[in-house]
Amino acid sequence: MSQVLSADDLAGADIKSPFMQYLPAVLSIVGSFGVLFWRLQTTNFPTDEALMMCALAAYLFAALVQLMNLYAPSGMAEKLSLWTATLGVFFNLSSWLVRWVAAYEREIAMLRDAGNPETPWMFRYIPFANLYDLSLAFAFGAGITTLVFLTRKNFSVLAAFTLPLAALILTLARFIGSDFIDLPPVLDSYWRPIHVGVASISYGITLVCFAVAVIYLLKDKVKPESMAIWASVFSFAVIATISKFSVLTDFAYRAGIFVPGQTAADKPFFTPFRLEIPYVGPTLAISALLLLGAIAAFLAYVYRENLQARKIGHGLLAAAFIFQLAAVGFWVSGVEAINDVYPRLQTQIQQNPGQVAAAGKELVSKQNLSAQEFAAITPAQFEQAGQNFLQQAGSSMFLSLKTNPVEFAGLITGIAGLFFVMLFSFRTETLRKRLPSLESLDSLMYKTACLAFAGLAMLLITGAIWANESWGRPWGFDSKETGALVAWLTYAAFLHTRISRGWKGRSSAYFAIIGFLLVIFTYLGVSYLLPGLHSYA
Amino acid sequence: MSSVEESVKPREGSRSTFSLIWNAFSASVEFLSSVKFGVVLLCILVILSMLGMIIIQQNVQGFDAYYATLTPAERTVFGALGFFDVYYSWYFNLILLVLSLNIILASIDRIGGAWSYISDPKLFGTQGFYQRQRESAEVGVRGDSKDEVAGKIAAAFREQGFKAKITKASDLDEPSRVRMGITEDKVADGPVYLFGQRGKWNRMGAYIVHVALLTLFLGHFVAFQTGFDADVNMVPGESTTEIQLIDINLDKQERYAVALPFRITCLDIQQKLIDPGGSIEVFNTLDWRTRIQIEDPQYGTTVADVSLNNPFSYRGYRFFQAQTIPVGNARTMKLQLTPQDGGEPFAVDLARNGETKLPDGTVVAYEAFMPDFTFNERGEPDTRSTDYNNPVAVLQVTKPGAQAERVFAFASNISDDIPVGAPKLGYKWRLTEFEKVPLAHVLSIKYDPFNGAFIAWYFGGFGLMGALVFVFFVSHRRVWAMVGDRNKDGEYDVLLAGDTNRNHFAFEDKFKKILIRLKGEAYGQGKGE
Repeated sequence: MSQVLSADDLAGADIKSPFMQYLPAVLSIVGSFGVLFWRLQTTNFPTDEALMMCALAAYLFAALVQLMNLYAPSGMAEKLSLWTATLGVFFNLSSWLVRWVAAYEREIAMLRDAGNPETPWMFRYIPFANLYDLSLAFAFGAGITTLVFLTRKNFSVLAAFTLPLAALILTLARFIGSDFIDLPPVLDSYWRPIHVGVASISYGITLVCFAVAVIYLLKDKVKPESMAIWASVFSFAVIATISKFSVLTDFAYRAGIFVPGQTAADKPFFTPFRLEIPYVGPTLAISALLLLGAIAAFLAYVYRENLQARKIGHGLLAAAFIFQLAAVGFWVSGVEAINDVYPRLQTQIQQNPGQVAAAGKELVSKQNLSAQEFAAITPAQFEQAGQNFLQQAGSSMFLSLKTNPVEFAGLITGIAGLFFVMLFSFRTETLRKRLPSLESLDSLMYKTACLAFAGLAMLLITGAIWANESWGRPWGFDSKETGALVAWLTYAAFLHTRISRGWKGRSSAYFAIIGFLLVIFTYLGVSYLLPGLHSYA
Repeated sequence: MSSVEESVKPREGSRSTFSLIWNAFSASVEFLSSVKFGVVLLCILVILSMLGMIIIQQNVQGFDAYYATLTPAERTVFGALGFFDVYYSWYFNLILLVLSLNIILASIDRIGGAWSYISDPKLFGTQGFYQRQRESAEVGVRGDSKDEVAGKIAAAFREQGFKAKITKASDLDEPSRVRMGITEDKVADGPVYLFGQRGKWNRMGAYIVHVALLTLFLGHFVAFQTGFDADVNMVPGESTTEIQLIDINLDKQERYAVALPFRITCLDIQQKLIDPGGSIEVFNTLDWRTRIQIEDPQYGTTVADVSLNNPFSYRGYRFFQAQTIPVGNARTMKLQLTPQDGGEPFAVDLARNGETKLPDGTVVAYEAFMPDFTFNERGEPDTRSTDYNNPVAVLQVTKPGAQAERVFAFASNISDDIPVGAPKLGYKWRLTEFEKVPLAHVLSIKYDPFNGAFIAWYFGGFGLMGALVFVFFVSHRRVWAMVGDRNKDGEYDVLLAGDTNRNHFAFEDKFKKILIRLKGEAYGQGKGE
């Protein structure tokens, strides 16, 4: 409705110049290219991994400061958070650029050592070759998108929600490992930086859209207990499915096992065997039970307004959180401490001999046999294949945190989710007051969804054109292609229901959350769980 | 019953039947064109796509092992439902077809409304219309006349990128004046309306997106229906007029020979290795290159290079570097010949399938290359494995005026006492260097006679990207102003309004800037003094 505005109304109008709005983002990018230039001048330089760890620390610090600012607002904290986030993005991009140079120098050294004078073009080494590279770029996409919106009025709060997620991605990258891969020649195309670059930025935007959706739901008075139910379901699902479902069936967590590559420079190989890590399984199983209790209690509160149930639910949730943290602690310390993998595995096999045949079956299934050939193999032959592998590789087996990055990331994400819902439950009304208005949140959610939709479309199209140029098959319903298509269709549904049905606010928020979960599945799940052309990343 | 009645009644009956059919047709079209139905189709596509991700598809590596693990009942049910090839099933294609229809009908349904923003912009409105806009404000602006105030507003609009169109009450036609509540006596001194807009074509963005999407679907459909995928082995020196079409049916792969309208000859293959002394496996490879010659009765001879990410197109056929047959071979060889009569050893270069002449007139021709030499059961030279464990060049050597004889040039320092390594035809033959290359390359061939894939992805795909950028990064912004009568402070009452279809916050800033500018005018000349 129109209003008669006074001079005072307009005097307070906060109209930031575009320059100031984009200054942190521009500074972080310019600074990173400065680092690249510096790196090109010298070889004595911090590694890309060290820079990545700096980015991780900066993201976590900025998020923490912003979280504190939510409860105890101060201009100083807001500025500190903004500039630390800028520093995080700077380190993140610097790490990626330094990695580019390192990849180049690595292969040039290999070529020269072999007496090969060839110098391939620079874009062959652009760090978009494996999931580590993609994770660095994904976190950067999330960071830079956050910086762009962070300077808008009342949106500094965004950092408290997006940067922990960016930090989670970098943590995952840390566990995936920063080893370089020998680039499959077909990937040596100028379409790779275009396609994967678009993917990274688009994924980053979907992360911000997701964070805005969560903030919206919180502001829109969705009970933290309702969120706690979903966070608990997620955590429970992770616990139930990791280690091939053994946590809830055998009360045991078995970690993947590596064997070294053929040379010191080669990446280690996954074996089809898993080794039980002491205490992790029971601790996780207890956490799962506590989560079930919390879900039941919160359901009673949400649907029956039972305040006692709410109190019990929070207690159970906190306990589940502590047990999950402890399980991660046992896991990390167990993996670091166990050096006698083969003897332990033999003891484990004595207790459960079926593992050998299962491992043998897994080994045989990778030999590209026809269905008839595969069906003709007897259980004894599977067992023999498993035994042969054990005899050949058993003594060189070792544990590493890098064997199960998806499981680890799932658990850490579950813990982060529980932490946030517990945080939301603390002085919820104070928190809600500090959040931007519903209208502005909805508008930002729509804007980021539009960007994500356009970005994912570009991702699909550039991928298809690359595939058409490289092997004449623009679209083949490869798992990753299909995953990205499904996410894109979800955002299409988001935008169309908004236009045609007027689904705004909460409905849009739910779409944004589903869309992001599908993106995460495409980014991580498809790479590790499904076969396809993109299994390298 | 009169003849008139008789003749009328059946017509009424047919009209009601016609109207029933028409109503049913209208309802169907309305349903098909609804966005709600489109969203439902999108959701079904999402579910089917996810199903195809979970159930390994028959063209994906590992399908055979997966298929073998299924029970007979699972195979029957999944097979009958088309779940092993869900993306090419009739119902998936039907849904895509219906979705295309939905996009077309929904676009036709709505394009008229969108076009009216361009063809018939709303230049003026009632006070209620202005107040209902997302942004609206009343402001007093000082000036000697309404025209002067309108000029100031137009300048403020211009500063924010809006070109103002001014409409006076006297410019309005009778119905408009009635609608705006302007009586005859007020026409001369009636309100002045200003309207400015930017990005009006953005209203058509969604339809450009739809056209691009349909181009993509159609191009892909044409490529799929009229083309095929095949492959051909390329062994240097060999030629063919046939390629192998691959048909996958569950766990069976069948190949059919398809005749080409031209002959294709492999002139050369090359594998660029990171470590030239290393293996010919993928991880040690920079690129593969195949040089082919096409002899076409219609268009003559063409020579082309095919390498990774660098396909070659010819008459609707695109040749891609796909795989290799990784049996070790040599592209070029350096032989060391030591004369038996005690002369100095000298080097001779020989290419695969090539020949060379020695100073004494002896002709040395390539016959074969064995990476891991052995004699097979029939006593013929053969290879034990595909690796370069015991490489040897098998040569045909012809002394002037004599018959050709087979000679073996080993890379290893084989003893002269062993017959195959012993000096022959006046020389001791040794293979000192060779450029590693596989036995053959495999080119995959995509036949797409109408360039459907190109049209789909370059026109449809790039069109879609451009259209989406246009839709989401541009917005249709409109501002209005109505200059009313002079108020008691001597200022003219101005009602400002604005709206945008996207990016409200950026527009809000612009609207505030217009207001600040007008307020500045007002306060600068009036109250501010």
